[in-house]
Amino acid sequence: MKVTLVSRSGREFIKGGLELNDSATVADLQEAIHKRTKKFYPSRQRLTLPVPSGSRERPVVLSYKKNLRDYCDGNENSLTIVFKDLGPQVSYRTLFFFEYLGPLILYPVFYYFPVYKFFGYEEKRVIHPVQTYALYYWCFHYFKRIMETFFVHRFSHATSPLLNVFRNCAYYWTFGSYIAYYVNHPLYTPVGDLQMKIGFGFGVVCQLANFYCHIILKNLRGPDGSGGYQIPRGFLFNIVTCANYTTEIYQWLGFNIATQTVAGYVFLWLLLLS
Amino acid sequence: MASALTVLRRLYLSIYNWTVFIGWFQVLFLALKTLKESGHENVYNAVEKPLLLAQSAAVLEILHGLIGLVRSPVSSTLPQIGSRLYLTWGILWSFPEIRTHVLVTSLVISWAITEIIRYSFFGMKEAFGFAPSWHLWLRYSTFLVLYPTGITSEVGLIYFSLPYIKASEKYCIRMPNKWNFSFDNFYAAILTLGIYVPGSPHMYRYMLGQRKRALSKSKKE
Repeated sequence: MKVTLVSRSGREFIKGGLELNDSATVADLQEAIHKRTKKFYPSRQRLTLPVPSGSRERPVVLSYKKNLRDYCDGNENSLTIVFKDLGPQVSYRTLFFFEYLGPLILYPVFYYFPVYKFFGYEEKRVIHPVQTYALYYWCFHYFKRIMETFFVHRFSHATSPLLNVFRNCAYYWTFGSYIAYYVNHPLYTPVGDLQMKIGFGFGVVCQLANFYCHIILKNLRGPDGSGGYQIPRGFLFNIVTCANYTTEIYQWLGFNIATQTVAGYVFLWLLLLS
Repeated sequence: MASALTVLRRLYLSIYNWTVFIGWFQVLFLALKTLKESGHENVYNAVEKPLLLAQSAAVLEILHGLIGLVRSPVSSTLPQIGSRLYLTWGILWSFPEIRTHVLVTSLVISWAITEIIRYSFFGMKEAFGFAPSWHLWLRYSTFLVLYPTGITSEVGLIYFSLPYIKASEKYCIRMPNKWNFSFDNFYAAILTLGIYVPGSPHMYRYMLGQRKRALSKSKKE
């Protein structure tokens, strides 16, 4: 069948259209477009059915798994598709890796290096035990997240615009530094010993629970990311729908109880809002 | 179809808008009077009371938006009111040294004219159900001049108060403290100045869009 590709303004996007097998899938069409245009790899393509002008309906997005035939309403030999470039894309794995790398590397800088000199403080400082534990806790958390990104999480086909990398990294890296600044500050005031132990203990338990939630979620999908949306069962998912988020929030609460900084609590509050 | 609630709402909003209108009218009147009689150095002292009252009343507008009394989105009113309150309380009221600066005059006059038009516009609509087209035009056109003059005054005043902010340590929170938190007013002020850089063109463009929408809609009617 012949597929005519237009841009959103109506212009023909690929001159002459594309010729595809009658039984071709949308994925095949994406491949053909990629082959022809070189620049637009499949995850950059947003393909929709044309919407009659003036209509306020939302356009139907083509699903990569379906046959092109399913979208033909009548004329089986030709199909018009609207193309939109989503811009450079990165996989979620790449996005998460860079998001988490910042906090992992920047926090120890505040702990090990005499950065506070640049803020006008003398070099000498006493390191409280809680600050050392906080370092281990924090780094373990982000190390765990990176490991999960590569070895545990099963991502669907989805990608993310490149711009999001810069935006998300800016947020994580800035906030990570903001918290690290206060916890490792030369004038840091530690909380009581018991409070510290409760905070970190609770946090570690939540991190382990969080890890187990991720394993459960992973097993819901096949290795190629198939499976779509499913409701997880078992363990904490019997109590809350998004048990992985719940444990994540509580483990940050544990960190904050142990370290007691306004910066940390603000981070937690923003996490709750999102 | 006027239910009791609708009537109450209109009554309340009429009273609110016209009251604040009178406040801003006083600000403008006293500012111009003082300018003529003595000089720009005394403008703040003359307008202080109505200014503080009228500007602080704007906080109610956030409430109105939140509870759905008015249609304005909180997202656009918040930054606007935020910057106003910061200038009024955080700069002018907190650091008396800046009050004699000439930019105070341009600031209050820009604000006052804008608000007089705005509050009377809403006052008309709530009390009488309509506003003449020239009024609509004023409301969506004067910002073309008053936004630049107002923003320049705001930025200028913040900038010129920086030495006073730094010296006074007012509102600063220092370490060590139980909550391991610090706040430096001086750097916060600099950060605020930075926000004006992308913030001002954004607000101006937003108003241009609003203008286009409002004036073309009135043409269609």
